[in-house]
Amino acid sequence: MNWLKRLGGGSLTLYTILFFAFIYAPIAVIVVYSFNSDPVNMMKWSGFTFDWYKQIFGFTNASSEAALYIESTDQLLAAIKNSFIVAAFTTTIATLIGTSTALAIYRYNFFGKRFYRVLMFTPMLMPDIVLGIALLIFFVGIGMPLGIGSIIIGHCTFLISYVFIVVSTRLAGMDRTLENASADLGANEWATFRKVVLPQVMPGVIGGALLAFIISMDDLVITYFISGVGTQTLPLFIFGMLRRGIKPEVNAIAVMMLLFSFTIAAVGLYLRSRKK
Amino acid sequence: MKGLSQSNRQRAQLSLLLGPVTIFLAIFFFTPLLIMLIYSFLMPGLYGGVEWIFYPHNYGRILGFADPTFEFFDPVYIQIFLRSLRIAATTVIITLLVCYPAAFQISRLKENWKNFSLFLIALPFFASLIVRLFIWVLILKKTGFINSTLMSLGIISEPLDMIYTEGATILGMVYIFIPFMFLPLYASVEKLDWTLVKASQDLGANGFQTFFRVILPLTMPGIIGGSILVFIPTLGNFVVPTVLGGAKVLMLGNLIEQQFLSARNWPFGAALSMLVMTGVLVMLFIYIRSETKDGDQSPATK
Repeated sequence: MNWLKRLGGGSLTLYTILFFAFIYAPIAVIVVYSFNSDPVNMMKWSGFTFDWYKQIFGFTNASSEAALYIESTDQLLAAIKNSFIVAAFTTTIATLIGTSTALAIYRYNFFGKRFYRVLMFTPMLMPDIVLGIALLIFFVGIGMPLGIGSIIIGHCTFLISYVFIVVSTRLAGMDRTLENASADLGANEWATFRKVVLPQVMPGVIGGALLAFIISMDDLVITYFISGVGTQTLPLFIFGMLRRGIKPEVNAIAVMMLLFSFTIAAVGLYLRSRKK
Repeated sequence: MKGLSQSNRQRAQLSLLLGPVTIFLAIFFFTPLLIMLIYSFLMPGLYGGVEWIFYPHNYGRILGFADPTFEFFDPVYIQIFLRSLRIAATTVIITLLVCYPAAFQISRLKENWKNFSLFLIALPFFASLIVRLFIWVLILKKTGFINSTLMSLGIISEPLDMIYTEGATILGMVYIFIPFMFLPLYASVEKLDWTLVKASQDLGANGFQTFFRVILPLTMPGIIGGSILVFIPTLGNFVVPTVLGGAKVLMLGNLIEQQFLSARNWPFGAALSMLVMTGVLVMLFIYIRSETKDGDQSPATK
């Protein structure tokens, strides 16, 4: 029986390794092939090159054969810029509103508190295509032009929920006696809030903001419906390329995007584990 | 502030904190959904837009009572709906089967390895969805990684048809939704009381009996939670079938997108969206029912 158990344990370990390989091997493949010099068949290795990275940063020699493929670098840069503008505004608005809602629900007892708790989950659970369509009909109906503004509003509708949940989780784990102690020691409400509550809740706020930023940078579906014709974000740009045909630079862009979001996520997760 | 009583001041603070979210969600979340609901019962205009006439045939086109003045009932829409359900259900089952053994193994690792493993599983969730799908395009397409590699090794002479199939669509879904299944599942598996498993073995249950009558019921909350989290974004998904399914694998999401961006039949698109939303609400309802039920009595510990 013992050898059978060990065999079972061993195959489970092997299985788990395969599980992680399934998740990460594709990512490894794209990282490696983003340095492939073959401009026609991107997945057939023909030599090492930095060209695609140079190209997305604009250091391109226009005469190269691959230049035939390139969607203009300006378009790409505009898309990146739009993504950052949207993410910055969305993060600020969603963090302010989400945090204040979480504080309200944590600190006060009021009629309809349970309703608000449920309410805050609904935008997150709404399928994004449904939300995107509803917002499209709404914006067109009230005559609001589609563009950066409508995208920011659209992202906020569901990212407020994400911030709310992260901050609420943080608040739930907080030590309430400290607040009472501060009040007992004569601090007024505002001082208690600023010096006791705020520092404790800050990691939650930062975590929520980082999450909102990453999701806003990544959102494709809602943005797709409410971006209008003239405005592109980075995910939309890549989605468009996938529909029309893939150019080797996309590889490099994809790797840069992975690197970017992994870095932010790693910082966020690290902060969370440290502050606990 | 001096003149205000304590409770008045609290009320002012509260409305200051809750005001923004209330106004924002009322205008930009509930109003749009309400308008969409109304739209789904209006008559599509001839050149896009709507006529303000009650018109139940948007739903009728899908469910079997199409507008007799325009068309005969075409089962294609119900077929697309059923295909979406099938793909969503298959995705749920595969992610579950893939994650379940891994969750057990990881829950038994040492603390450091455990945390690192969880970190590795959560990490892709933060990576761009479109990039992760794009990777699979490069791997599966005719001149992609698998075909190039197999052909240069001489194993196959003709490229395999992998991309633009239902299988590729499901693979893409499984890949991007694994964290959604794994994390709730893991939460249940980690809480599993192994003494109950031991007890069942001591009492003479064989492996199958222990699994189906002790382990499975005890981890059911995680299974249901994960299944719902995977099912919801899969059902109305249009990115994965567009990128990996091509024109062949049409799902509800693709159909909705077409109504809005090319067919310009907004009321019909709104009705389809309502259908997706209903599917999701039904799932959530089942979930909440099961949550409240095993709060007080889980089958094995009863």
